[in-house]
Amino acid sequence: MTDIKSAWQRQHIEEHTMLTVQDLRLRANRMRARLSHRNWVLYLYSAFNIVAGLWLIANDSFPNMKAPMLLMIVAHLFVLWQVWRRFGLGKLPPETSGQHVLQFHRQELERQHHAVANAALWYIAPFMPALIWELVIWYGRLELATAGGAATQKVFVLVVLAAILFWTCVWLLFSRHAARLMLELERLSHVKAE
Amino acid sequence: MTEPHGQPDTQYVQAAAEFGEALARLARVYEADPDLRRDLLQDIHLELWRSLARFAGQCSLRTWVYRVAHNVAISRSLRKRRTNLVSLEEIADLPSAEAEDLAATDVGNVARLYVLIRQLLPPDDQVMLLYLEDMDAASIGEITGLSARAVATRIHRLKAILARSFA
Repeated sequence: MTDIKSAWQRQHIEEHTMLTVQDLRLRANRMRARLSHRNWVLYLYSAFNIVAGLWLIANDSFPNMKAPMLLMIVAHLFVLWQVWRRFGLGKLPPETSGQHVLQFHRQELERQHHAVANAALWYIAPFMPALIWELVIWYGRLELATAGGAATQKVFVLVVLAAILFWTCVWLLFSRHAARLMLELERLSHVKAE
Repeated sequence: MTEPHGQPDTQYVQAAAEFGEALARLARVYEADPDLRRDLLQDIHLELWRSLARFAGQCSLRTWVYRVAHNVAISRSLRKRRTNLVSLEEIADLPSAEAEDLAATDVGNVARLYVLIRQLLPPDDQVMLLYLEDMDAASIGEITGLSARAVATRIHRLKAILARSFA
């Protein structure tokens, strides 16, 4: 038995890597920079939406839509908070012992699956009141303004169809993601735990 | 996030020099592709360096190094869809060497060991790898989180497989 152990330990290894401490610092900084970049992209996207919404409200660009636009801004803030709360990944200290790693991964997957499976409630639904409100207002104005023009009505119908298509796609993407996570969970349940 | 300085740097250099080859063997078990293996090995070294900031002699440096390395490797392998994995109980013998002229050589035997470990479910693959690295049962338990009895059962089974295959 010792022979097989020593054969294992004597084997030729070509990729015996020892990183210098400087390399390690560089890699750690790069990793932090990537995460920081991703977060900044999310923050800037939200900030843009919120600022644009506020600017349109302040300039009275759509006087009849002020309230739903404000509601849309609130929805953006709520969804951003939910994404941070539900999708943020926990970090396991790397020295934790083996079975705890499996447990940690299982809990993370379950948490993510729960979040994705309920995305219609916390991601899609918050935008709906503002969206429907905006469409109702627009439709109301259409009735007043479309005495002579069927073209604006067509634009309205196209916008409604596009909105339905967009949110259906979002829902389908979340459903697909949830199915994948469920598969991962099933696979993980085959990993023996004692 | 604070990064380790001073003492951990020295500890990392010491650990990497002492256990670098074992870490490379571990990376080879979890990644067959050379490029991915290099990435994994670098990730292991990075996590090891970071973790040493929290190392205060809770266990031996060797156990700590293996624990960190296994966790990085297992975290990555869990993200992949490895299928057809089996436990030690379901393995009868070691797979035979692919090339017949290597069958009785160290190279052939080591190749068969790699094939076997890659077929095993965690934590059986970890137990086998640590056993081959000459870790004692208590340390294997510390690293994998298995009870002493569970480790002993697996080692017993493993020895039987190895004895049959290399008799």
